[in-house]
Amino acid sequence: MSGDRPEMTYEQAREELVDVVRKLEAGGTSLEESLALWERGEELAGTCQRWLDGARERLTKAQAAHEEKTD
Amino acid sequence: METSPEAPAAVRTIANGIASWINQLGAVWVEGQLTDVSIGRGTTTVFGTLRDTDADISLRFTCNRRVFETVDVRDGSRVLVHAKPNFFARRGTLALAVSEIRHVGIGELLARIERLKQLLGAEGLFEPYRKKKLPFLPHTIGLICGRDSAAERDVLENAKRRWPAVAFRIEYASVQGPSAAGEVMTALRKLDADESVEVIVIARGGGSLEDLLPFSDEGLIRAVSKTGTPVVSAIGHEPDSPLLDLVADLRASTPTDAAKRIVPDVREELDGVRLLRERGLRAIRSWLDRESHALAAIRSRPALAAPVTDLQRRADEIAALVERNRRTLTHRLDRASDDIAHRLASVRALSPKATLERGYSVLQLADGTAVREVAQVAPGDLLQARVSDGRFAVEVKTEEDK
Repeated sequence: MSGDRPEMTYEQAREELVDVVRKLEAGGTSLEESLALWERGEELAGTCQRWLDGARERLTKAQAAHEEKTD
Repeated sequence: METSPEAPAAVRTIANGIASWINQLGAVWVEGQLTDVSIGRGTTTVFGTLRDTDADISLRFTCNRRVFETVDVRDGSRVLVHAKPNFFARRGTLALAVSEIRHVGIGELLARIERLKQLLGAEGLFEPYRKKKLPFLPHTIGLICGRDSAAERDVLENAKRRWPAVAFRIEYASVQGPSAAGEVMTALRKLDADESVEVIVIARGGGSLEDLLPFSDEGLIRAVSKTGTPVVSAIGHEPDSPLLDLVADLRASTPTDAAKRIVPDVREELDGVRLLRERGLRAIRSWLDRESHALAAIRSRPALAAPVTDLQRRADEIAALVERNRRTLTHRLDRASDDIAHRLASVRALSPKATLERGYSVLQLADGTAVREVAQVAPGDLLQARVSDGRFAVEVKTEEDK
């Protein structure tokens, strides 16, 4: 899951992930290709997950900071 | 009158001369504004100044107290007087001797204001395009009002209630009477010159048409139209509004109304901000939830969640092939064994064993050749005798002929 391209946005990662899964499900690929696709899929899913987790974390922090201030 | 440094005239001669000349002038009707009126206790004459309403020119006047008190006039009133110029030789002063005094009629005042309104309107001073936009939240508010007036209190209290941090710069001015218009103009200039002042409020409580005359003053109206800072007119609610209302960038009905119009309500604004925050938070939360679910759905698809199945499928394929391979081989082996068994049976069927069991035996030479003819043996040869259950050696004795 390393080698994440940092410039990849959530949308890019997600779009590619959907594409990878579609290819995997369609079949007709060689074993080596399948493995490469699956690895790429895992990597992309990880990128998306990190984006979402990061967003959630920032949201929680911002909210906590705001509440601290208003309290 | 002939005079020279050698033959000067006496003061009395000159004074009397001026007096007789002036006293020949007839009575005239004069309109002006009363100021500095002094009514001494127990005196019969009222002194005061009659001031021009536009130019800075004035004349002293005297009036019999009974005449003066026939009308309800006071400092600042606009009056029409019938008066005769009178030179008082004893003090060398000129005064108008007022013989009749009249209030300038309300109708007349209104007509004048109306004429001025037409004139200034024609010049475009009241055009909507000239109105300047008020700042949303002014840095400093310039306030022109009477000292210790209710108008001042109303504006300050209401503005601070809405936005406690609001700042004011206050310039006091008379808000009625002859000097009002001038003082208001001076205050206006000062506030307009102050960079931090972002809006100017001219506030005064309600009053009579006459009280509010300074706020229809031509000079003041022109000054307001030239002011760079937005001006709010906040003159007490009256049916006949002064011209200031028309030229101002915003017309408030009262000083309290002005406060409401120039500063936003802090609670209202904070509520608005809070509402927007909540909406934003909700939107981003639901986006996050939606995307998280979508991602979870993708990740749980077999292609990603159980990549093993693909491998398993391939492994199964291999296992099947191995199995097929194995089965094929076994089959062939089985067939071969069957073949062998048959052949063995055939071999067995052809064996001489049964004959041997019936009591025959086979003699064999040392090289295994079966003995068929006598000629094959000689006495003393050792032969192998094969019987059903084994073999033994025998010796040839003699030849026996048949």
